[in-house]
Amino acid sequence: MTFDIDFLQRILATIFKAMPLTLLLAFLSCIGASLVGFALETLRRTGRWQGYLLRFVIDALRSTPILVQIYFLYFVLPYYGVVLPGPVIGVLAMSLYYASYLAEVFKAGIDSVPRGQTEAAMAVGLSPLDVTLRVVAPQMLRNIAAPMGNYFVSILKSTPYLAVIGVAEMMGTTLEIASDTFRYAEPMILLGIVFLVLCSIIAWLVRRLEARLMANTRR
Amino acid sequence: MSFSEIFLGILEGLDVTLTVTAFGLLFAIPFALVAGVAQQFLTGWKRAPVTAIIEFWRSTPILVLMFMFYYTLPVAGVYLNATTVAAMTLGLHIGAYGSQSVRAALQALDRGQVEAGLAIGLTRWQVLLTIELPQMAVAMLPTFVNQFIQLVKGTALVALITMTDMTARAKELSQLTFDPPAIYGALMLAYFLLLYPATVLGRHLERVVGRRSGRLNGGRAGDV
Repeated sequence: MTFDIDFLQRILATIFKAMPLTLLLAFLSCIGASLVGFALETLRRTGRWQGYLLRFVIDALRSTPILVQIYFLYFVLPYYGVVLPGPVIGVLAMSLYYASYLAEVFKAGIDSVPRGQTEAAMAVGLSPLDVTLRVVAPQMLRNIAAPMGNYFVSILKSTPYLAVIGVAEMMGTTLEIASDTFRYAEPMILLGIVFLVLCSIIAWLVRRLEARLMANTRR
Repeated sequence: MSFSEIFLGILEGLDVTLTVTAFGLLFAIPFALVAGVAQQFLTGWKRAPVTAIIEFWRSTPILVLMFMFYYTLPVAGVYLNATTVAAMTLGLHIGAYGSQSVRAALQALDRGQVEAGLAIGLTRWQVLLTIELPQMAVAMLPTFVNQFIQLVKGTALVALITMTDMTARAKELSQLTFDPPAIYGALMLAYFLLLYPATVLGRHLERVVGRRSGRLNGGRAGDV
């Protein structure tokens, strides 16, 4: 392997150019996964049969690889006439897959809020939706900030899968350079370093956020 | 092609999926144990390299790791076949997650256990091997099952480094016949049948072990 500083610079420039899209896709997927996950877990609690059904949906999502789910959405939706651009498919797939994991996090979170809170809120006449969104959710978030943050890092680390459906995120653009130049080693190593740094920064932010929230609970 | 033909065609890739899983476990379990114990026992500067290795394997996306090693090792003169590279990268990625559960389980164990062991004259290693690890094994069972599921799901990626696993078979079949709903439905079904029992088992173990030890199981699943 010859050391070529120009080549490395070109790769880095390409990776950084694709970084905003990567972060945007990850960010949208975080929001999507949180909303769907919370909806799944809230609906799961509304009754016995909903409980069985949604538990099954959650477990089914967890039992298949995200790559296969991406392929499924990408190839099957157009067959039924629903043609969506790659990035939209990507956000959709990551939102659904990680919703199944976040639903479990929300389960622990909702359980961590004392029952008395729900009962008191119902006693003063709040609607079930208000009880969930205004009483339980805010108290729950503090307890689950850390695991939620960890899954957000996981979502960022899943963005490379979108390269397989042609999304021009960091992995996709790096692979393009690699296949143009027939040199895979340097681009892959640099991409690994960029991801490592990016994920470490976010993981560090999550730890800090957790520490702050914990400090607040101690009073 | 009928659905059952497609499904059977996909199952032709099952042996690759299972082989990579089996070899992946050979990397994941020892790495998780050694790295987790080392991170817990080492202090000061000696701990930094262990943490760095764990973070490298944990914080880099698995697809990037796989491509990195698949394409870089030959440049460095190391020629490994795709199965080895896939099993190694997947195994160490999952193992790095597992090491955090090992460490959490070690920390969660009652200190009295270690002190009692030392008091009756056992060495620190004997305490670790005969007192701490056996008790941890039970506490770690749910995590183990969950990481195992992640490992099996991760094998879908080997399709991208030229191996013919179930996912790759689905792509091959899609060139023979245009029927995406059947092909990708069958592929989903194959993974579902393979892993749903494990998912249910993991959930059950989480409940049983969690109730017995009265705490949430440490660590989280990987991301494949």
